Amino acid sequence: MTVSTQTVSTIQFPYKRTLGPVMGRFFSELTARRIVGIRSGERVIVPPMEYDPETGNELAHDFVEVGPAGTVRSWTWVAEPIESHPLDRPFAFVLVRLDGADTDLVHVLDAGSEDAVHTGMRVAPRWRDEPVGRIDDIVCFVPGEHADSPEGEPGEAQDVTTMEYFSKITYTDVLSPTLVRYANNLRAGRLTGQRCPQCNRVFLGRGYCSVDAILLGPELDEVLPDRGVVSNYTIITPTPYPGQKETEPFARASVVLEGDEMVIAQQQILDIPVSEIRVGMRVRAEWMPDAERDAAEITSKGWGTVAGFIKGWRHTGEPDEPAEQYMNRVF
Amino acid sequence: MTARQNAGETRETAVRQDSDIAIVATAQLPAVRRQELTETEMLLMVVDEALDKVGLKRSDIGFSCQGSCDYISGGTFSFVPNLDAMGAWPPIHESHVEMDGAWAMYEAWVRLKHGDIDIAVAMGSGKSSTGDPAAMYPLELDPYYLAPLGLDPVSLAALQARQLIESGKTTERELAEIAARSRRDAAGNPNQQVRGAEQDVDKLLAEGYLRNPLRKSDLPPISDGACAVVLVRGPRAAELTERPAWITGLDHRSEVHNPALRDLTDSASTRIAGQRAGGVAGVEVAELMAPFTAQEVILRQSLGLAEDVVINPSGGALTGNPLMATGLVRIAAAADQILINGRSRTLGHATSGPALQQNLVCVLEGDTGAEGDPAAKGDNR
Ligand SMILES: [Zn+2]
Repeated sequence: MTVSTQTVSTIQFPYKRTLGPVMGRFFSELTARRIVGIRSGERVIVPPMEYDPETGNELAHDFVEVGPAGTVRSWTWVAEPIESHPLDRPFAFVLVRLDGADTDLVHVLDAGSEDAVHTGMRVAPRWRDEPVGRIDDIVCFVPGEHADSPEGEPGEAQDVTTMEYFSKITYTDVLSPTLVRYANNLRAGRLTGQRCPQCNRVFLGRGYCSVDAILLGPELDEVLPDRGVVSNYTIITPTPYPGQKETEPFARASVVLEGDEMVIAQQQILDIPVSEIRVGMRVRAEWMPDAERDAAEITSKGWGTVAGFIKGWRHTGEPDEPAEQYMNRVF
Repeated sequence: MTARQNAGETRETAVRQDSDIAIVATAQLPAVRRQELTETEMLLMVVDEALDKVGLKRSDIGFSCQGSCDYISGGTFSFVPNLDAMGAWPPIHESHVEMDGAWAMYEAWVRLKHGDIDIAVAMGSGKSSTGDPAAMYPLELDPYYLAPLGLDPVSLAALQARQLIESGKTTERELAEIAARSRRDAAGNPNQQVRGAEQDVDKLLAEGYLRNPLRKSDLPPISDGACAVVLVRGPRAAELTERPAWITGLDHRSEVHNPALRDLTDSASTRIAGQRAGGVAGVEVAELMAPFTAQEVILRQSLGLAEDVVINPSGGALTGNPLMATGLVRIAAAADQILINGRSRTLGHATSGPALQQNLVCVLEGDTGAEGDPAAKGDNR
């Protein structure tokens, strides 16, 4: 049985950003269905900046209402929108010169078809039903002179000081040939690495010597013992944050493989209280059951891991090694 | 006046100093859609190759600098394992920029200017295959006004191209001609990714728009790759290679981030960087980082390149675009025109940020005696 050579992972960041007095004013005005720019010398800049883009000098907070209609200055047609686009039907990205502005605003235009879009056409905003003070309070622009607004008059402008933004990226990591061999060996319950012919150190899960900067090929593969000695550890008292699964103090230890210098970091020591973990303790790998072994944690970034294959390490009961022998092998 | 006549004028003033810095060797991996090697392994290979060309070892290197981007690779601190490509024990002097390797080269050049070391290595590496650039790149934009709109790089390039066309500075036909020329050149360069593609201008123009007014042929491929260059200061450069590519000017400039606040049909930062790097008089070959066809027109016009300057004989970013290495590849290709092809004055350009926001220009010269004859190495120093 071979492992999948591909790992798909998604990272997500829920941002909350402060806006300051200039952008804050712009987004506050949006909640009352008004668009403002800022005066910079002879020009009106929309959306407003804190500084003159030409000189970098700070601008006085001299806001000017513009639009809501404007003229398309450039456009392109998106026939097949993707998830990160603001509309889920074909639309145009546009540069709009709002009436009274001297710069262009980037936004989207809902025009139905590509044929309906041209430079110089007049457009106006379609307002979101319940504004929150974001650039997409303008859902999109639509052809014509008149804004497309929800029923009724807008309320007073809200005081918008922060903006939430949910960022998400999906990566597909494909394992290198070295890592495919490494993961397949782990699947079979074998810890393997390559021994550098120059310095005699052994490296697992990377395919090169980090000291001598030379590639280490499959001919240098060797099976390593799944026994070792704890060379360092830390006890962590968990604080709650998204993704944190631990609730009680837990330990993470570095294990030096028997007879070598290779350190496997961030390991769990199983079945003893964290207070009894010590440097010099002899341990043996506890492998995951065959059916649960999973290469999802092995990526082409970093220096190799045993996560997904070795659950943790168990004290062998043998006498400890002298701790001072491990002082230079902490990580 | 032709480029060659101009070149004659510049050469008279070209006297090499001990403080001058040259590129003596370059190496790159072919740009491919998906590279199975890790970034560290890619860097090991290009550093090995570049050093081997001039008989240097890693222990000879006084400073190294990498350019890469965690956003692209999808790994935090990926420059830390990447450092293994230089062998960081015993400890070494090194640095990293979260930018194209061309900016890593800029830092290495500044470091060599200190005068206490003679040899530096600059690298760039990236694997765009791990993510979807259309979804990822909006995140490098202004987080307040632009990122929530998901403005992807191809759409932004299309907004720029339309303004260029409608202002009369280019035509769709000229863009198709740039695509066709780049593909013809790429066919002869094994390092490029887009090699057997259509090269007939009329057939390209008959293809539909991907983002009106841009067709697929106006866009770069998604690429993985890596590049390294070896920089040497003073007399050692001429000891290591027959004809060093002397860096006679290197400058980079940045403009306001929001592309809607700029004139997208011009590149003021490129123009200033080009002037500060010594100008384009006498430049015979220019390698311009123009991942979109219209950007080549903007760069050429902003630099004021003459009609007879050869543009992107490598095939350019349009046929191979390993982000974070693409710019350094352009400079390496401009240097190889001197190191290998005997040219006298060449220009390498790199860009970063949305719609040509930041631009770096590197002007390179080879030692030449009488018009057209490469001098005996180092004699005019
Ligand atoms: Zn070694």
